[in-house]
Amino acid sequence: MGQDYLVIYEEEIEKIEKILNWLIRNSQAKCALLVDKDGHLITRQGFTHSLDTTALAALLAGSFASTKEIARLVGEPEFSVLFHQGKKDHIHICLVGERSILAVIFDDRTTIGLIRLYAKQASEELTTILAPATKEKRDKTAQMAPDFSTSLENKLDDIFSE
Amino acid sequence: MVSINYAFKDICCKIVFYGPGLSGKTTNLQYVHQKIPPQTRGELISLATDQDRTLYFDFLPVDIGKIHGFSVKFQLYTVPGQVYYNATRKLVLRGVDGLVFVADSQRSKMDENIESYQNLVENLEGYGYEIEKLPLVFQYNKRDLPDISSVDEIEGVLNPKGLPHFVAVAIQGVGVFDTLKCISKLVLDQAKGEKVVPEREVTVKEVMMAESKFTQTERPELQEGREMEAISQKKPQPASEEWFSPAQMVDRPDGLGRVAVQHKAEDEPPPEKREESEPQKEEVLSERLAHVQQETKIEKGESLPKIEESPTITKGFFLWRFFKKLLNR
Repeated sequence: MGQDYLVIYEEEIEKIEKILNWLIRNSQAKCALLVDKDGHLITRQGFTHSLDTTALAALLAGSFASTKEIARLVGEPEFSVLFHQGKKDHIHICLVGERSILAVIFDDRTTIGLIRLYAKQASEELTTILAPATKEKRDKTAQMAPDFSTSLENKLDDIFSE
Repeated sequence: MVSINYAFKDICCKIVFYGPGLSGKTTNLQYVHQKIPPQTRGELISLATDQDRTLYFDFLPVDIGKIHGFSVKFQLYTVPGQVYYNATRKLVLRGVDGLVFVADSQRSKMDENIESYQNLVENLEGYGYEIEKLPLVFQYNKRDLPDISSVDEIEGVLNPKGLPHFVAVAIQGVGVFDTLKCISKLVLDQAKGEKVVPEREVTVKEVMMAESKFTQTERPELQEGREMEAISQKKPQPASEEWFSPAQMVDRPDGLGRVAVQHKAEDEPPPEKREESEPQKEEVLSERLAHVQQETKIEKGESLPKIEESPTITKGFFLWRFFKKLLNR
């Protein structure tokens, strides 16, 4: 909110995607998503066509946030890794830096150990890439055209009408 | 906080509907979900109790579409109104860009409105946010019920500063879109308002690249199972050392990490040997033996073997499993 914006440039996304691909390839996972703690999807790689990634991102962030509160109640600063086991598919969620979450969805073709190992390394790399995006105060408006507001208003009138 | 993704040309804003229990926050979202064009909305997700009371949050993503090359998205959240759920209510407020305070207009509910507003201020303070700096609009809901307070009365109590307010009957949709339009504009105006010096221009080419990349990831021909293969064809990956030096690979987290190194150790033969026959297998076995011995040394606390290239770990692992199966037969 306010002064606290997350602005990510394209070259950062490229680097992030490379790492996610590296992670998927090595760990044999199905897909990997990078989500910020507010529930916005930063990017995703792998088999995600059948997934509602927007909703998934919001729910993952919610799930992580509630776990953090649980951690606080039991006297831990944060649980940095979450694992949900299903019948076929499983999710491994880990913290990336201060404000992002890496979720890896995988099935029985691989093992939790491999996922954990690679997710940890990927998370460390992602932390360094994301550090400038969270620390620097970046301009978020330079690319918005001056008549952005008018266009937005028209669009909102179109969509938000009975 | 507004998230701006220059690769996908996305602007993503989080709007939270706050207010006392049963004031109509979820109803607002349900109405929006029903009425907006299907291509602009995602699924409405409700984390609710069996009695349809919000337990954690409701979530509705709305994609406004492209405005000057930027895809503008709003994520609408509601909070659980009941006093009991303050812990989860506070979590939803994290990273909020705009707030709609949905007040219940009934006289009997006025205290609850005030309590909820105070709770909002406290919860925001918990994150270090100041309510004065956040876009906020009020919605006085349930105007169709008898025994309601007048707008002036509610204004006097909840909104002495005269922020934008709307009267509403959310269940019939009255005032719902007006509220949403107002808060959307306020949020984006705020995002635009804090303009600083541009650091870098994003060219048209980059926009096109970003878009084509986005569609590439969505390619329908990528089928499950072939996914990883297809991706590696699409984006030829340089050797993994580019990101992870051997030294980093040795930095293992815990017991689980050790297992993976072991896999690597057991599977030294590179993938080209995949097609080879019996004598090769024996070689593999002897190598395995050597590495198991090495592994035992490691367990005794000696220095770790260096790993040159990480992709062989998994390739080798599966190769090893394949041979093991073959031998078992």
